[in-house]
Amino acid sequence: MRPVLLSGHERSLNQIKFNRDGDLLFSVAKDKIVCAWWSANGERLGTYNGHQGAIWTVDVSPNTILLATGSADNTVRLWNVKTGECVKAWDFPTAVKRVEFTPDGSRLLAVTEKRMGFLGTIAVLDINYGENLEDQAEEPSLRITCTESKATVAGWSFLGKYIIAGHEDGSVSQYDAKTGEQLENVQAHEFDHQINDIQFSPDRTYFITASKDKSAKLISSRNLAILKTYVADTPLNSATITPKKDYVILGGGQAAMDVTTTSARQGKFEARFYHKVFEDEIGRVRGHFGPLNTVAVHPTGSAYASGGEDGYVRVHHFDKSYFDFMYEVEREQLRK
Amino acid sequence: MSKLANRADWADDEEFDDPSALPAQQVITNKDGTKTVISYRFNDEGKKVKVTRRIKTTVVREHVNPQVAERRSWAKFGLEKGHAPGPSFDTTSVGENIVFRPSVNWKAQAAEVEKNGGEKGSMKDQLKDKKVKCRICSGEHFTARCPFKDTMAPVDESAGGADAAGAAEDTAAGAVGSGTGSYVPPHLRKGAAAGGERMGGKYEKDDLATLRVTNLSELAEEGELRDLFERFGRVTRVFLARDRETQRAKGFAFISFADRSDAARACEKMDGFGYRHLILRVEFAKRAT
Repeated sequence: MRPVLLSGHERSLNQIKFNRDGDLLFSVAKDKIVCAWWSANGERLGTYNGHQGAIWTVDVSPNTILLATGSADNTVRLWNVKTGECVKAWDFPTAVKRVEFTPDGSRLLAVTEKRMGFLGTIAVLDINYGENLEDQAEEPSLRITCTESKATVAGWSFLGKYIIAGHEDGSVSQYDAKTGEQLENVQAHEFDHQINDIQFSPDRTYFITASKDKSAKLISSRNLAILKTYVADTPLNSATITPKKDYVILGGGQAAMDVTTTSARQGKFEARFYHKVFEDEIGRVRGHFGPLNTVAVHPTGSAYASGGEDGYVRVHHFDKSYFDFMYEVEREQLRK
Repeated sequence: MSKLANRADWADDEEFDDPSALPAQQVITNKDGTKTVISYRFNDEGKKVKVTRRIKTTVVREHVNPQVAERRSWAKFGLEKGHAPGPSFDTTSVGENIVFRPSVNWKAQAAEVEKNGGEKGSMKDQLKDKKVKCRICSGEHFTARCPFKDTMAPVDESAGGADAAGAAEDTAAGAVGSGTGSYVPPHLRKGAAAGGERMGGKYEKDDLATLRVTNLSELAEEGELRDLFERFGRVTRVFLARDRETQRAKGFAFISFADRSDAARACEKMDGFGYRHLILRVEFAKRAT
């Protein structure tokens, strides 16, 4: 496969997201712009300008009308995907590390940083898709405060029923999305090893976490049971579940501050593919010059994209060998 | 007068040799249905670069949901505002091909590729399936350890083929003490000249048919000399002395003929021959002493 290199950012990537149809790809980096790309050929559709600081997170509504971004300038901004205009900005006391739309797009969660005497919170904002997109609620409809350990990442479970959050201390918790009450808390990863990413399966009944403790875990959304564990040899920054084939893709690599002291080979700057069920590593894809900060997979499972500390986004369209690979037991089952 | 004043000075003409202007993009349609697009741009060093792309258009029909189709017609915005459709060079490029073949034991395969690619196959690996063979009894031990070392001569040694010396000249080398196995000094070997070997003896026998050519031009070439002398007979060797640094001819050369009579004829005819504005002097080479 021949990757398409997208070099629209001047600094390290923070998050990339495909929209639900998979034709658009959104990327945010430590520079202040959001880029929108056509995923098929890597052409840049446009940029969303207006943030004053590094942008940590991006998400696109399921109908690809609104785009939400969270930034170090303490705002969450809502953009009109088509025109690139900013339709709304919410101010928060601290930086916003993660935003995500509910599966129906009616609500948006924002994870705020714990800093300057403020505790880390998860705020839920109601989103309105009326005639006038600028007409949005001013105040969050729900605010969850993380008193024990701050949330670093969060997302919505199936039907937007629960909010699942990954914490700085390596635990995962489940909150009721209506009341904000904490229902479960599981120490999924090693204590004090931050969870860097959380991504859901297409139906959101389970999700994968990527942690600094060099492992990724597949966890059930309903009761936070740990289903699978994928062990890597490097701290992980991102993990995703591929549709169509039962794989997971993990991205990581040496911490950015140690990179200059190692060669590209030792740095382990590769996307790792594991079999979702058998937990075996089945291959790696290299190409980045720095650790992978984020990986995302096309909703149809035909491509994946990775964003690195090196400022590049690489979009890979899978070729035949990827789809053909099967374990012997899978083949046997197919024959029956 | 006013007409003249209105007209811009030719030196101010913008179209004329403006270094910052780029020629317009050219699109040529080829016979085989492909298109050649020639465009110009400035690279990072500010130099003008001509980019020629051959483009083959293949129409791929795809059924997408109407919303996706509608999105394809969206205009560009933000930093891309007003840019032409199609990926732009400064943001999008295509990386080198990556072979990705999922496999259960990919780690072993990757290790193997690394080993082959890195040419790190150590001496140990290279000699892995080499066996020690005794030259005396062909057993699996070193010759020095052979139990028959004192009683038997090495097998095949008398054939002389294995030795490097045998490859050079079969006449001079001579069979190493036929079958006795004891050392024979070179001057006592069969066929060795009584006076011993002179250095560079390889050409010795040619001396009789070798000409020395002097007063050669600095620009002389081996090929030319060969052509000049080949008229008289088969030339076996042309040596043109050259300066080590400048690689120019030093002004003399040696031409060896296969046959002495040819050499004599060439010597007679070519002495005084005008070549590259100089009069050649040709004589039989003297035996170096």
